[in-house]
Amino acid sequence: MSTVGTAAVILSLVAVAAPALAGDPEYGAYLASECFACHPKGQPVGPMPPLHLLPRDYIVQALREYRAGTRDNLAMSLVARNLSDEDIESLADYFQVMSAQLGGR
Amino acid sequence: MSLTTTRRQLLRTAAVVAPVWVAAPGVLRAQAKPRVVVVGGGPAGTTVAKYVARDSEGKVAVALVEPKESYTTCFYGNLYLGGQRTFDSITHNYVELVRKYGVAHYRDTAVAVDPATKKVRLASGRELAYDRLVVAPGIDIRYDSIDGYSEEAAAVMPHAWQAGEQTALLKAQLEAMEDGGLFILASPPNPYRCPPGPYERASMIAWYFKQHKPKSKILILDAKKQFSKQDLFLEGWNRHYPGMIEWVPEELGGTVEAVDPATMTVVAGGEKHKAAVANIVPAQRAGFIARAAGLANDSGWCPVEPGTFKSKLQPDIFVLGDAAIAADMPKSAFSANSQAKVVAMVIRHELTGSKLFEPRLRNTCWSSITDKDTVKIGANYRPTEAKLEAFDSFVSKVGESDELRAQTRAEADAWYDSIVQDIFA
Ligand SMILES: Cc1cc2nc3c(=O)[nH]c(=O)nc-3n(C[C@H](O)[C@H](O)[C@H](O)COP(=O)(O)OP(=O)(O)OC[C@H]3O[C@@H](n4cnc5c(N)ncnc54)[C@H](O)[C@@H]3O)c2cc1C
Ligand code: HEC
Repeated sequence: MSTVGTAAVILSLVAVAAPALAGDPEYGAYLASECFACHPKGQPVGPMPPLHLLPRDYIVQALREYRAGTRDNLAMSLVARNLSDEDIESLADYFQVMSAQLGGR
Repeated sequence: MSLTTTRRQLLRTAAVVAPVWVAAPGVLRAQAKPRVVVVGGGPAGTTVAKYVARDSEGKVAVALVEPKESYTTCFYGNLYLGGQRTFDSITHNYVELVRKYGVAHYRDTAVAVDPATKKVRLASGRELAYDRLVVAPGIDIRYDSIDGYSEEAAAVMPHAWQAGEQTALLKAQLEAMEDGGLFILASPPNPYRCPPGPYERASMIAWYFKQHKPKSKILILDAKKQFSKQDLFLEGWNRHYPGMIEWVPEELGGTVEAVDPATMTVVAGGEKHKAAVANIVPAQRAGFIARAAGLANDSGWCPVEPGTFKSKLQPDIFVLGDAAIAADMPKSAFSANSQAKVVAMVIRHELTGSKLFEPRLRNTCWSSITDKDTVKIGANYRPTEAKLEAFDSFVSKVGESDELRAQTRAEADAWYDSIVQDIFA
């Protein structure tokens, strides 16, 4: 087993947040990739609805409620507690664009 | 190091790399794309391949090396054993990955990696050159950790901890077993694939016995002192399967030392047990290619940088999923899929200059105790110098209502469909 010293520079690269996240569609897409572990992209099949089928305001409100604990689901609240206001807006924008592309709502 | 410096350095590096799939002379460099080779088409590797190919919009060539034409998931495999899912419903293929995202699927096995020349050698003799390599081979079973166990013994006493033939074999044995038989489940020492997996398996087999072979018993011989969601499983077993399941922890002689497939004997704590069906799940380590490539340490698992999943031992290689040391994250399909999105982002950043965001990592695992009593556990993780630290978590509570448990089952079923879509479609 060999340790590669020369690679240390590149290896020490730790992902860092780029500035000015609000309104950045790439950021919205990255955040939304988390949601697709549970929410389907196509037809509704169970308790996690496809998010592009929900109105923008509804998404924002639901996420705030899960985060605040006024609406509770252990799994979904865990997701929401990790979202800032800026994150919630970026996600809502993302699903709105997705909805327009897929002809969702 | 600032982001801009990194990018400039990477651009410089990228310019020197010979940009062809197979290192053949006479190909114009100007036409070349950076190449990503992914070894292993499980949740970890397949998600990386899909996300890099899709999000780089043709700017990166992605090859997936996976010998199998179709992939049967371990997750929901216990439900198949219990009779709640069909084999077909937990089997998926790579057709969409190739068709929709242009991933090249090599139905082959990686046998060697040369980090110096940046090439992967396949069993067929073909060589693939890479700019970034992703190694996600899952686990190997440590056959040598239990006396008398071997690949041949596994044809009689299956581990069924790598899905497909092994799971089907265990299912056939359970169906052939007479009512009143003893089913023995040997549960492995930490760390291993899917911490609650053995206990969900015992639950699902109890579910099958309760309906079809109610006089049968289940003996869990455990190499551990405690296990994941223990209170919830014990509550469920008392409630739904009273007297059927016995759990023997390590300190009471639970560790399986030896097996004899010829007589179906399992030896633990010096005591001999005779099984009608024996499911032996031994200790595990990273898949052989990870070890052959010099990516594993003495533990048999692969150390990685917590925020990026870059190997600590070899340059330009990422290891994720079950093969990686990602503690506190458990070895689960959910974790593998979550890690893959971070890895895909880092790789695209390095090869195409796309943006890098803070890694977001999560696990959520549902375990079914009956067909409508399901519990769950989950956590968020963030990289520190030393590890991936859990910073927020939940677990179902003992005594929850039947309604909530049934709802949790509906969630689990929906999760399965969504994650499989996120990985393979
Ligand atoms: C009974 C059971 C229940 C489980 N339940 C859950 C659950 O409910 N939720 C959950 O999240 N997780 C669950 N898991 C865990 C989950 O299955 C694993 O964590 C997950 O499969 C890991 O993904 P991976 O991609 O790292 O490895 P794998 O899924 O093992 O995929 C690795 C792939 O690499 C291929 N490969 C290996 N070596 C090579 C090579 N040299 N060249 C080319 N290809 C190679 C293999 O063929 C394989 O297809 C469960 C596991 C078990 C056993
Ligand atoms: C671990 C699985 C999981 C993940 C990941 C997840 N969700 Fe959810 N989500 C759920 C569940 C379960 C529910 C239903 C909860 C309930 O019954 O209240 C839900 C519900 C919701 C709802 C309300 C739906 C409705 O019909 O009222 C919204 C909005 C939502 N999620 C948004 C998101 C977003 C945005 C993400 C990604 C940042 C995300 N979710 C990620 C599991 C998940």
